[in-house]
Amino acid sequence: MEITGYTHKMAAHCESGTITSLLNHGGMEITEPLVFGIAGGIFFGYFHRMKSFPFPTFIVRNKPGKMRTNIEKRLGASFKTYRFNDPARGKEKLDELLAGNIPVAAQVDFFYMDYVPSWERVHINVHYMVVTGKDGDQYLISDSYFPRMVKLDSASLEKGRFAGGTMSPKGFIFHLGKLPAEPDLNRAILKGISQACFYMLKLPIPFLGIKGIRMFAKKINDWPAFARDTEHLSHEIMKINILLEDQGTGGAGFRYMYATFLQQAASITGKPQLKGLSSELMKIGDGWREISLFSARIVKNRDLGPASLKELGDKIGLQAGAEEAFFKSLSKAIR
Amino acid sequence: MKEKEGFVDFPEQQMIVYVEKEDGNFGPMQTGSYLSAHYLDDYFGKRHKLEQELREQLIANRISPVKYYMVLVDLSLAELASRTGIRKSRVKRHLEPGQFLKATAGELTRYAAVFNIPVANLFQVILVPVEGNPESHHILENKAGSVVVNQHPTANPCIVLTQPEERR
Repeated sequence: MEITGYTHKMAAHCESGTITSLLNHGGMEITEPLVFGIAGGIFFGYFHRMKSFPFPTFIVRNKPGKMRTNIEKRLGASFKTYRFNDPARGKEKLDELLAGNIPVAAQVDFFYMDYVPSWERVHINVHYMVVTGKDGDQYLISDSYFPRMVKLDSASLEKGRFAGGTMSPKGFIFHLGKLPAEPDLNRAILKGISQACFYMLKLPIPFLGIKGIRMFAKKINDWPAFARDTEHLSHEIMKINILLEDQGTGGAGFRYMYATFLQQAASITGKPQLKGLSSELMKIGDGWREISLFSARIVKNRDLGPASLKELGDKIGLQAGAEEAFFKSLSKAIR
Repeated sequence: MKEKEGFVDFPEQQMIVYVEKEDGNFGPMQTGSYLSAHYLDDYFGKRHKLEQELREQLIANRISPVKYYMVLVDLSLAELASRTGIRKSRVKRHLEPGQFLKATAGELTRYAAVFNIPVANLFQVILVPVEGNPESHHILENKAGSVVVNQHPTANPCIVLTQPEERR
């Protein structure tokens, strides 16, 4: 059994890619950067000590699940959602929807996705993909991180859907309910930008937004105190590159994708300033990419002394200044 | 980033990055992972070293199998407790070799599910020869030509069929 008419497409990010796929399948022509931008996806947060993470870490996007709810609010689309306590009931509902020729998005723990190479697999409960069919005991999966559809056995899918821990999926699935007759893209774009500016500039929390980037720049010098040894520290610093580039961001911690959104937004809203700002953000993204490459280089050479970490911190600090000026200009541009 | 600067030839891990195209427009480009293309050997080197160190501590009875896997899969104590549904103080005790022996069969099953291993692997480390050296079977992904150890679950939750096969 396979959903008819569904087209698999790669995307930069799992959540924005999944939502884009469902909207496209429903007949709405919209790009991934527009979904990401309208949903106010761009963000920054630094977590120096958090129980669920064994080491300091950071995020470069808004809270998982928010993209879907923001798209619902701003575009007027609706998604039908389901959560389950009983895995058997969760499987039954999924099969029922597939039998009705409905592509179903599922939230899973990435660790149990057997089709992913071992070096990429980590316990993270907020991976999204679309289930598009079933062949015996195997489900057909459209995962936006892969160039083609993949198969996953039902036991692994169940483990992924019902993993415990932080942000446990609880079997969460959703599918497209209805699409708006005439979506007001202009208004949705401005709302998305406005929220992104507010979250980056005005949240009164010292580890979120621009303040978070500044805290990251300062606190990275303390990272050696958390590490078991140099090898462990090098592994954690390599994660800077992974989080910015490899973990489905479209490059430079979503900054390249957001620049693409602003370019598309400029022509939709008729605000030419957004085009200039998109080029500016592309350059800021290059700065983040330089940080990624610098991190990888010092890790490979095991050059992880205080001088290298200070240099890394200084580079991150420069990004804070650049992003603060950028988001202030962006905020003015949409007034 | 310009399109030509962003392209990486690494078919094993493809991804989408947004780049500046030749006509000045920004858009998606399918490419390989820069990190995996250039630093995967370094990653596996660290994994092997970490596994060896943990295995030595495990064999010397200085850490428990729960600690061995918890560090390998990069989980915090709080996260492991939350994922298994076992009280944090109890998980903390199970990290000690002596206390691990007091864990119940039900608790061991929950640990194994989170680590995605058969319960039997909490009591054994399967070694396979790689270039003359014994290495743990679950971190061999990048070793072309090596033996791969497949562990097939059975209807009996306590029994797993372990079968070494040649990697294809």
